[in-house]
Amino acid sequence: MTNFYKKLFSYGLMGALLISSFGCSDDDSDSVDPVDSDQDYTFFISASSEDSEYIVTADDLESGEVSIVGNGTELAMTGYSWIFNDDPSVAIGLVYAKGDPGIGLGYNYNDKRELSNIGQFQISSRFTSYGFFENYAITSVGGQTLVDDEGNTLVDGEGNPRQDGSVFNFIDVNTMSMETKSIPTFDVFHEGQQATFSGIVDRGDGTFLSGAVVSSPRDPDATGGSSTGEVVYPNECWVAAFDKDLNIVQKFHDDRLSYSSGRFRSQYYSQIAKDDDNNVYVFSGAYEETTTHPAGALRINNGANDFDDNYFFNIEALTDGYKFRRVWHITEDYFFLEIYNDVEPTSRGAASQYGIVKMEDQTFNWIGGDFPAYDQIDATGLPMAHDGKMYFPVTVDSEYPVVYVIDPATAKATAGITVQATGVSSVGILRK
Amino acid sequence: MKTVLLSTLLAVLSIFPSFAQEKATISGVVKSSEGEIIPDAYLFIDKTNFNAISDAKGNYELKVPAGKYLLVCTVLGFEREVAQVDVEAGTTLIYDFTLTEKDQVLDEVEITGKSIIQEVKESPYNVVAIDTKKLENSSKDLSQALERSSGVRIRRSGGQGSRTSVMLNGFTGRHVKIFMDGLPMQSYGSAFQINNIPVNLAERIEVYKGVVPIELGADALGGAINIITKKSANTYLDASYSYGSFNTHKTNINFGSTSKSGFTFNVNAFQNYSDNNYDVKTQLLEFTENADGSYSSRYSNEEQWFERFHDTYHNETVIAKVGFVKKPWADRFLIGATLAQEESDIQNANIMQIAYGGRATESHSVIPSLEYYKSDLFIKNLSLAVSANYSRVKQTNIDTMARQYNWAGDYRPKGSRGEGDYSMGEFRNNTGMFTANLKYKIGEKQQIVVNNLWSTFERKNSDPVANDQNSSDADFMKRSNTKNVLGISYDYQLTDKWNASLFGKNYHVVTTGPMDTTTVGNTPYYQQQNRRYSVNGFGLVTNYRLKNDLLLKMSFERSVRLPTSTELFGDEVLETGTTDLEAENSRNVNFNVTYAPSWGVAQKQSLYIDAGFIYRDTEDYIRRDVSQSNGLASYVNHGKVQNVGVDLEVRYFYKRSFAIGGTFTYQNMRDKVGNDQNGRPSLHYNDRMRNVPYLFGNGEMSYMKNNLFGKGDKLTVTYFLNYVHAFYRDWPSLGSKKIEIPEQLSHDMSVNYSMKRGKYNITLEANNFTDTILYDNYSLQKPGRSFSVKLRYFFSKSRS
Repeated sequence: MTNFYKKLFSYGLMGALLISSFGCSDDDSDSVDPVDSDQDYTFFISASSEDSEYIVTADDLESGEVSIVGNGTELAMTGYSWIFNDDPSVAIGLVYAKGDPGIGLGYNYNDKRELSNIGQFQISSRFTSYGFFENYAITSVGGQTLVDDEGNTLVDGEGNPRQDGSVFNFIDVNTMSMETKSIPTFDVFHEGQQATFSGIVDRGDGTFLSGAVVSSPRDPDATGGSSTGEVVYPNECWVAAFDKDLNIVQKFHDDRLSYSSGRFRSQYYSQIAKDDDNNVYVFSGAYEETTTHPAGALRINNGANDFDDNYFFNIEALTDGYKFRRVWHITEDYFFLEIYNDVEPTSRGAASQYGIVKMEDQTFNWIGGDFPAYDQIDATGLPMAHDGKMYFPVTVDSEYPVVYVIDPATAKATAGITVQATGVSSVGILRK
Repeated sequence: MKTVLLSTLLAVLSIFPSFAQEKATISGVVKSSEGEIIPDAYLFIDKTNFNAISDAKGNYELKVPAGKYLLVCTVLGFEREVAQVDVEAGTTLIYDFTLTEKDQVLDEVEITGKSIIQEVKESPYNVVAIDTKKLENSSKDLSQALERSSGVRIRRSGGQGSRTSVMLNGFTGRHVKIFMDGLPMQSYGSAFQINNIPVNLAERIEVYKGVVPIELGADALGGAINIITKKSANTYLDASYSYGSFNTHKTNINFGSTSKSGFTFNVNAFQNYSDNNYDVKTQLLEFTENADGSYSSRYSNEEQWFERFHDTYHNETVIAKVGFVKKPWADRFLIGATLAQEESDIQNANIMQIAYGGRATESHSVIPSLEYYKSDLFIKNLSLAVSANYSRVKQTNIDTMARQYNWAGDYRPKGSRGEGDYSMGEFRNNTGMFTANLKYKIGEKQQIVVNNLWSTFERKNSDPVANDQNSSDADFMKRSNTKNVLGISYDYQLTDKWNASLFGKNYHVVTTGPMDTTTVGNTPYYQQQNRRYSVNGFGLVTNYRLKNDLLLKMSFERSVRLPTSTELFGDEVLETGTTDLEAENSRNVNFNVTYAPSWGVAQKQSLYIDAGFIYRDTEDYIRRDVSQSNGLASYVNHGKVQNVGVDLEVRYFYKRSFAIGGTFTYQNMRDKVGNDQNGRPSLHYNDRMRNVPYLFGNGEMSYMKNNLFGKGDKLTVTYFLNYVHAFYRDWPSLGSKKIEIPEQLSHDMSVNYSMKRGKYNITLEANNFTDTILYDNYSLQKPGRSFSVKLRYFFSKSRS
């Protein structure tokens, strides 16, 4: 062997060693399955890093810690909103990316008491509202351009494509099979007006209710913007009752409040929910600048065909003039409100103040206890009502997200589990 | 600041007065065997940095220390000549070269000998020069040629024409700028990009890692790629056609001529077409009909194989240039235009599972251009190069079908328009660019270069059917950007073996975009606003020839990248603007060792080793931050990344008949952010960067046989291997069931037979012949096994 070849050989060997050592230096962690316990349910937490979303589980939300470091199932997409069905016990992840459909997910505990993906569906239209109705999880969006049975675009009198379609996805909670239905909304509530629906409330009689934001069609010459055009009836509140084929079987109308929907840019947040006795409370955050009504609530009693004329709750009068944006039911007739930080909010205005209303007594309390001050809150996830309490993920500056446990009777919050993650978007419960 | 830079340079100049050393001169004239003067011939002293180029009259001059040398003269279209010279200090040796014209064609595989490629490689920069000549007979595009460089990874989302991103030492996207002949390509539109331009367009590709010469004026944080197009003074015709799997057709015709009077023209036209109907494995969205005639859908649990059915891609491009060369007023003056169009079906979303049947994009580009070059402008040793272009790009996104498709190609009526968002969105981008480069040689050892690139960009969107709440008025407001990058460098040859260059850059940017200025009420109000940036960067490069075959290099740059309009202004719907963003900055250090010995009888065997060690320390990374509570994204300066890596290229050549080699890249790129943007301890401190390949390489082996069936014939058989180690999509520390982009190992093979010294060529290629499932990105499967055949005719004749 010449000197040169010797050198070449030894360099080659060095190179090979270098390659193999680099190859082995990777940090591979074994998958960790959650510890099995006797409890017949577990909490499902959707936690995120800056770029990905993970599912982690915990048996207790009242204390302790859970982390996405070395733990949790990474999801292919991010930005899921999780909703939880009780019977069957299923977590349903809804997602839609700008311009692309999203892949919806269903999770449950299988017979072996393991968290398992029971199916995937494709959400091909955006959604701004969601909820459960019978055996379906439903999403809805307004402002869509519909086609007739022949595939021709529905056009207005001037030949422009109409943008008054509401599209509803019905996801079967047992099979994760999804059906899409749509209805035109032009002329439904007022002549020349269209509507965007907000919220889904199952009445238990084969129909579901949804608040309607009634507006003029969007100016066809406008280059962009929301599907909701000018609201010419800002002092009216409309609720529609749909059957499962999206027939509007009943329209509820009242002029004591404005429309029932919390709006934030493109979102239409639900402001309609029912209490434990199946009375439906129709809230209105009085978002529309032109309304003369306060932020408050009306009631449709269990089985009733109209608003309860005797019930009117002026919530704004109890909140020092602050309006609210979102509403969730906790237990009995307690509801949880997300309230704007400014008395006169803008479309981008933050809402990180929280309070509890008791509807029958018409009382209001700001959340107290350990709950962080409104100006420290960076982010919040979707709250979950469980066992008479509200579990609410909150992220404050410089700290990991914490799930606060709120007692509606006292409106006191105590800090529960800490989630080592960048954010927590939802918490829920899954039975085994 | 510009004045500060200038005065710094002047100060440096005064420190290093050019000290005279007694030298010998070699000069002469380069002519053809028919007595024609040959300008632009490249002359160099073997195994040194001494070189010269013959001027318009064929004259050359070299100043060298006394000694015995091999003087080489090489020029396109002629046989190369080597002369043994022996010079004494203080004397002048006259040596004239008479070159024999090559038999009409180029030598296909130029393995040994110093060329411009080699000269670039030996410059003090951490640079890889890819000789595209070797790939001329393949049906590859520029991005596939780039893949052969160490440190570079190309990530594709699919087949022909699919979205392609270049990763350079871990940097990608906006951090790596791509140039064509010194002008940034990003404004040319998707119809004219590296994923659809045939490799034949390029003379060579230069990849600058981390430290970018001032000639490439852009805020490139991680490096730059410069594609040098072919410029020939000959009369030539290069025509090729290839046909391959997935009904792929590619044609390229390139011809040009230069008359005795200096009038020159060339036309380069190419076309790609592909059905891209390769098979992919994914889940099927199953449709079931309900009793009432409506449909339900759900994904299958198992993955199945499907043929892509909506991925047709085609693009057509014509580049025409006309002008003059070797005139008293210009060495080169060309005006031209590039017309390019592209139509691309979109088969799937960013997640493979989601199939489309009607979505498509279209892009049209019109790019008029101008080039001017003059050496010895007004005075000797002063040269000026100017180029300018204006690109008008129209991009249309089409999503109008009221259908939902699945991978079987079935669909169900959807009831509303748009498979995703109902869109006929149109984006019009207009960009003007002007660059000027002034070079002045002070004596033998010093040179000052000033380079300035000015560009102005304007974007206007419109969408006649945009109705979704996703859009706002701000989407349709004008965004513009005016940028000026001024660079000054000072090159100094300290000794015969030691070169150094110091440079400074000034970036000045004015960006205009819409901001939501609503303070009361819930109707958003947008206002056009301006942001201004002025940032400086600087660098130093040096090389030292330790031995004839051993070259050391060191380079450093403090590089910056300025925020884009989107980062500053968002789209004001799903993204909010952040007006106080800082420029990203990075300290880039390279250390290279190049060892290129040859040995044996008549130096039959040779070796080329280039080992590069890189260090990158990047701060103020601009990252997208999505708010949990409302889904709104904004941009923040948050991020600190450190990368220590090694790039290795090793090649062994045996005569002109066998070559084996490859490249290897390892980068240890780590997250160095202690606390996240909200002040919490980071959960992935010191983790390897997410979604970045960190260990990859390729291997290549070729065998060449001359005169197999006839004189001037050549057979080339090449095997190519590509390897990428598996990597995680998110931070490695996170999760227990993680998403991983699996290891990729693919093999390509090609057989080329050239006849009549490269006049007629036929090439058979088999790519990914083991039919491996390949991914560069999560779930986006790339093509499996494919074959192609390429026929190429090449004719070239130098002016006589």
